[in-house]
Amino acid sequence: MKGLLGLALGILTAIGGFVDIGDLVVSSVVGSRFGLNLAWVIVVGVIGICLFAQMSGRVAAISGRASFEVIRERLGPRAALANLAASFLVNLLTVTAEVGGVALALQLASSVNYLLWIPLAAFAVWLVVWRVKFKIMENVIGFLGLCLVIFGVALFMLHPNWNDLGGQAAGLVSPGSEKPATYWYFAVGLFGAAMTPYEVFFYSSGAVEEKWGLKDLAQSRLNVLVGFPLGGLLSISIAAAAAVVLLPAGIQVTSLSEVLLPVTEAGGKLFLAVLLIGVVAAVFGAALETTLSSGYMVAQFFGWTWGKFRRPVHAARFHLVMIGVLLAGIGVLMTGADPVQITEYSVIFSAIALPLTYIPILIVANDPEYMGEHVNGKLMNAAAIVYLVLILAASIAAIPLMIVTGAGA
Amino acid sequence: MTAQQRSTVDADLHLLDRQILDVDGAPVVTVGDIELTDIPQGQIPPGTPAPQITALLSGAALATRIFGGRPPARLLHRIEWKHLAKIGAAIELSVSGKDLVATWTERWVRDRIISRIPGGTHDPE
Repeated sequence: MKGLLGLALGILTAIGGFVDIGDLVVSSVVGSRFGLNLAWVIVVGVIGICLFAQMSGRVAAISGRASFEVIRERLGPRAALANLAASFLVNLLTVTAEVGGVALALQLASSVNYLLWIPLAAFAVWLVVWRVKFKIMENVIGFLGLCLVIFGVALFMLHPNWNDLGGQAAGLVSPGSEKPATYWYFAVGLFGAAMTPYEVFFYSSGAVEEKWGLKDLAQSRLNVLVGFPLGGLLSISIAAAAAVVLLPAGIQVTSLSEVLLPVTEAGGKLFLAVLLIGVVAAVFGAALETTLSSGYMVAQFFGWTWGKFRRPVHAARFHLVMIGVLLAGIGVLMTGADPVQITEYSVIFSAIALPLTYIPILIVANDPEYMGEHVNGKLMNAAAIVYLVLILAASIAAIPLMIVTGAGA
Repeated sequence: MTAQQRSTVDADLHLLDRQILDVDGAPVVTVGDIELTDIPQGQIPPGTPAPQITALLSGAALATRIFGGRPPARLLHRIEWKHLAKIGAAIELSVSGKDLVATWTERWVRDRIISRIPGGTHDPE
């Protein structure tokens, strides 16, 4: 039973983190423009996030030190502060996108303008962060987020031509007429949506929140290996559903309603209702994770008390940071900035910022003073180095690609 | 500790920027800098005792490590070396962090803001 509960952390992080607003939007956009041509990026991203989360979870469980404590200690105050500033801003962008995403989903469910939902959504996020236990939060959200499986069901009900989809995924057929630069721009976006840094902050800090020890390591491995591929599979079905419905009709994804359209097409209002529950839960979960992550990273940099297991008065500055972040998010959204566009930028900036968190964790995972005998094995390091190259390449290529393609226009 | 038992502690690797935990395991602050006994400038007279670490510093020490300069002593929060219990993946103290000057901002935010919001003093449910 404890194993099952522990698995919920993995599944929450998978659904809230893997299928968050970034993934919903970018997978749909990519599916509607490239079919399944870019599905391989999701697979690469899933393997990468498994590797990365497993490594940071292991560091947290063995040393008891969460990601940003490690980052500050390894990089020193100057580089770590620059890192904090960059990671914090990218995370703020993601919080904003997630809160906006919850509001957009609630607008579709209620026909009440999303701008009215934004303060309520942010307040709800704060309330959960303020009052609800970590375990309950992750279980409820993780459970409801599973409604997103409806994307997979819808895909089957649409009776797609599986040969076509397979051909696209294998790269034999290119359905769209997009330029190579655009293709690679969205590849970086998908990669950034799969490997968002906040998942790692959340995962490693969650391990400390739940007081993981040595024996929880096997469970952590299970979390990662079950949770993230499940999220990746969902992500691919979102792209596939978009490839089946949106691509042939030439429908551009510019708002959340186009993201949901394939499911409505397959199963009508009933499916849409289930889907909306899943979307609200998953995006709300991601909003919680990103909000908590912003508190985690600042508190860990300065060495403050943090954690949801403490009363708010015992982690006062941690809670103040999160309140500030949510207020800033509300402020940005209330200007009328389009949450879908904020989302598209947030995944690109996630890809840009990823090496900042990846490299220090990789170094510490190899440091016997922290890890004792549990340092990375040879196989793990070989894989980690391959991903180091991929992550650096995506990070460096992101801005030039953004300029060349006009942000994928 | 006798001279024979002394092993190398790299101040940069093992002390600076390391998390400090209090006696209950609660985070206090991160080590910003280290305070040494006075090192005479210029000529060192023979027989001068070697400098010793007297305290771990936080507060303005972080800013001076990043930007340089010398802050007034009142802006440096000291944790006396004698309160240290263990140096490991974190530095553990033998005292509670609640009343240390290093945590005054925590107390300020707690008393002025967080404890005034309903529910702030309760355990999460």
